[in-house]
Amino acid sequence: MMQNLIIYLAVGSLVGYLLSKLNKHIGPIVLFALSIYSMFVLWNFPTDTMEGLFGFEDVLRFSAMSKYFSILSLIVFASFAFFNISWISKAKNPHAFNALSIITLLGTLGVFFSSNLIALYIFWEIAVLGSLFIVPMGKEESKKATIWYIVISSIGTYMFLYGVFMLYSRYGTFDIFEIAQNLPNESIGFKWAVLVLLLGAGIAKSGVFPLHTWLRNVHGNAPDTFSAVLSGQLVKMGSYILALVLTVFPVSVMFSEFYNGVNILSYVLIWLGNISILIGTLMAIKQNDMKMLIAYSTVANGGYILIGLATLDKVGYAGGLFHIINHALAATMIFLSFAAVVYRTGTTKIDELGGLIHRMPITFVTYLVGIISLAGIPPTSGFISKWMVFQSLVSRGMFVTEMFVFVGSIGSFLYVFRPLAGVFLGQLKSKHKDVKEAPIFMTIPMIILVGLTVLWGIFPQQVLIWITDIQKEFGMEPFEFEGTKLMTSMGYWDTWTVFVMFAVGFIIAAIIYILMPKGKKIPLEDQYTSGEFLHNYDLYHYASKFYAFFEREYEGHPSFEELYLSFVNVLKAIGKGIDYLARRTASAYLFWAAIVLALILWVRW
Amino acid sequence: MMTAVRVAQVLLTAFFFGLTFEGIGRKVTARIQKRYGPPWYQNFIDVLKTLTKHGWTHGWIFDFGVLMALGGVIATLSFVPLGKLVAFPGLDNFFVIVYLFTVGALGMAMGMVGTGNPWASIGVARALTLMLGYEVPYLIVITSLLYFYKTSNISTIITAQGDGWNLFKFPIGALVAFISLQGMLGKEPFEAPIAPAEIASGPMVELSAKYMGLLMLMNTFMEFVEISLFVDFFLGGGTYFVFLLKYLIVWILAVMISAVLPRFRIEQAVAFYWTVPILLAFLQAFIVVLNQH
Repeated sequence: MMQNLIIYLAVGSLVGYLLSKLNKHIGPIVLFALSIYSMFVLWNFPTDTMEGLFGFEDVLRFSAMSKYFSILSLIVFASFAFFNISWISKAKNPHAFNALSIITLLGTLGVFFSSNLIALYIFWEIAVLGSLFIVPMGKEESKKATIWYIVISSIGTYMFLYGVFMLYSRYGTFDIFEIAQNLPNESIGFKWAVLVLLLGAGIAKSGVFPLHTWLRNVHGNAPDTFSAVLSGQLVKMGSYILALVLTVFPVSVMFSEFYNGVNILSYVLIWLGNISILIGTLMAIKQNDMKMLIAYSTVANGGYILIGLATLDKVGYAGGLFHIINHALAATMIFLSFAAVVYRTGTTKIDELGGLIHRMPITFVTYLVGIISLAGIPPTSGFISKWMVFQSLVSRGMFVTEMFVFVGSIGSFLYVFRPLAGVFLGQLKSKHKDVKEAPIFMTIPMIILVGLTVLWGIFPQQVLIWITDIQKEFGMEPFEFEGTKLMTSMGYWDTWTVFVMFAVGFIIAAIIYILMPKGKKIPLEDQYTSGEFLHNYDLYHYASKFYAFFEREYEGHPSFEELYLSFVNVLKAIGKGIDYLARRTASAYLFWAAIVLALILWVRW
Repeated sequence: MMTAVRVAQVLLTAFFFGLTFEGIGRKVTARIQKRYGPPWYQNFIDVLKTLTKHGWTHGWIFDFGVLMALGGVIATLSFVPLGKLVAFPGLDNFFVIVYLFTVGALGMAMGMVGTGNPWASIGVARALTLMLGYEVPYLIVITSLLYFYKTSNISTIITAQGDGWNLFKFPIGALVAFISLQGMLGKEPFEAPIAPAEIASGPMVELSAKYMGLLMLMNTFMEFVEISLFVDFFLGGGTYFVFLLKYLIVWILAVMISAVLPRFRIEQAVAFYWTVPILLAFLQAFIVVLNQH
């Protein structure tokens, strides 16, 4: 069945390409149909099934983890495809855009299905290649962004490939489960080398420090809807590798304990997560481009996921896995709502927008629920995973990590509020007075995602069943829950009760509100202006340098992006030097003649 | 049914005593500044008066924001134990309370920025930045208590203080929590988000009539949550009236400090929180970890 799905997607990519030559709106419909069909097939597909692929036996294995990641990917792709039905008219190469999107889906599903490391690598490269050609269809700077993408991605994949070959030369097999049984008996140096190399791919792809620099460029400049896939789904491929490697290999047995039951490898990873959270949060706070802002928030959330997974206990690991699906949904909602805004206004700069809530209320609600989930505020599902990670960290007394996690958590309120205030609230710009709500094909997937986030925030059982299945599959103690009651050793809470109390509070407030005299509606221009008479209300909007007073505190921070660019400059300078010396000019001839003479003198011919 | 009664009890306590204590606080401030001050029931008059006037609205998000603010804070308050009075026994998880609390704050921020007045945006930007300052040391101190008692249930921690308050067991932590409390309450020296003379009361700039009244109630409830948490964590909670007495003492202390201090600039406040209180918080956490091993 898995093999058939992969074949259908490959054929679908070609068919979609040809059909969208007829009418470009058909392409996304093909992708949507394929995603829904795959989701339908995989939802009830029995886990722990082995299958061959094109004659190679037992290359594919559908595990509980494959199921979880496939379903979240398909949710993201289905909403992306439905949204594209209208949006595709703005795409630069609609047929190629669509065909490559299907190839990307094929690659990622293949990654989630493979139990054979070399098959996994091949599918991984298919996914990267598919997305690689979509990224440059975005803004002007997107061609440069593609270089960031390919370079950092290949650092990760080559590390992975090298690790796979190291394992193959020792055991003569590519099967990850077979390797996992033998690895604990190896020397400590070999274990470190292999795990660092394999995890490298996950770190590069999920945008964790020090390989986080590509996210700002790529997510910020890629085609607007594809940013949703990049941040919501492709980055999760990296999280998949992290989760897989950390659980298939018995990491807590292989490495010695470092602090309160956390092994040394996990501890190193947790620190990478800490730094990612700090960088992601502080950089997101100062962005004026809304897509780049959320790109940095993806870095921070990659850190959360890594910290959760690396704790490897029943609460923290489950929290990490839950955070993957939450961030996937939230990032998709946010980027799709941005795509709708750009579709109508044509800009991503926060300070060129404002007051769009009065024209695009559904887009606003999507963004609002997206950020509520991203910032981890109940009653959305985003809070549940944050709560689980917090409980795990507190029960182990990891106070330094807690500090980073709390800075990231409170900092997320700051950065998500910036587009909220700058783009959707405040004064409506006079040039946007005639903007309309996004077309219906765009609003439908947004509303469905909003519903799903709130639903899983109140009734998280379905997600928790998937997660505990994964934990059971790897022989880990599963997270405990009874209905909507989530339990840890540090205490429990009930999502349903909290939601009911929130509703009660809201009703009490609403009753007071209704009983009291009604307010009179006044226009946006009717404002307190400190006694000034204003001619241009476009300027009466606080959006640029929103947190200037705070940004000033870390103005001269070191930048890894600049560090990497300086490496590039060094390489360029060396290349130029060689180029200069290989040219047929008088000075080059003179240089070589001098070298030859010097050599002759030196060997005393 | 019993739960509903207890929730009502918590909310009514917060309403009557919250407003009364605010009135007493105004009186104390006035006396420190050598004024006579308003009567202790002035805040009841203010809330009722504003609620019954005809006001102006700036559109649906403004109305919705106000409702979400008050609704969120009411929901939070119902989970907070007032000493022995716990509306939902076992469900008073610290992180749930802290994060539920932000629903109200977000509602208020959204509604106020929704008015379209830039002063409101500036006020909210400052409030969020200040929050980044005070929350981090506060959360580290409280989580070190949670780690010490191996629970994140507030009632369990209250019970565990039967043999002595955490104020004496963890004096450094209590100090940090109190400094953070001052920021949470928005009292001087951490008053920059509302700074009336500087940014026209920040978020409140466009408020009128019942919107003002609803947000005054919300503010009272927010203060009640913040101070109750401090009393529960460090002063051992206590029976109903003992709890209220402890509450009043903490409140008066905060008011007295705010009456004599000037205002920090926002970046000074954050820089302050991220130096002295955070180091003290880590010192406290370090002591807790050492005790455990």
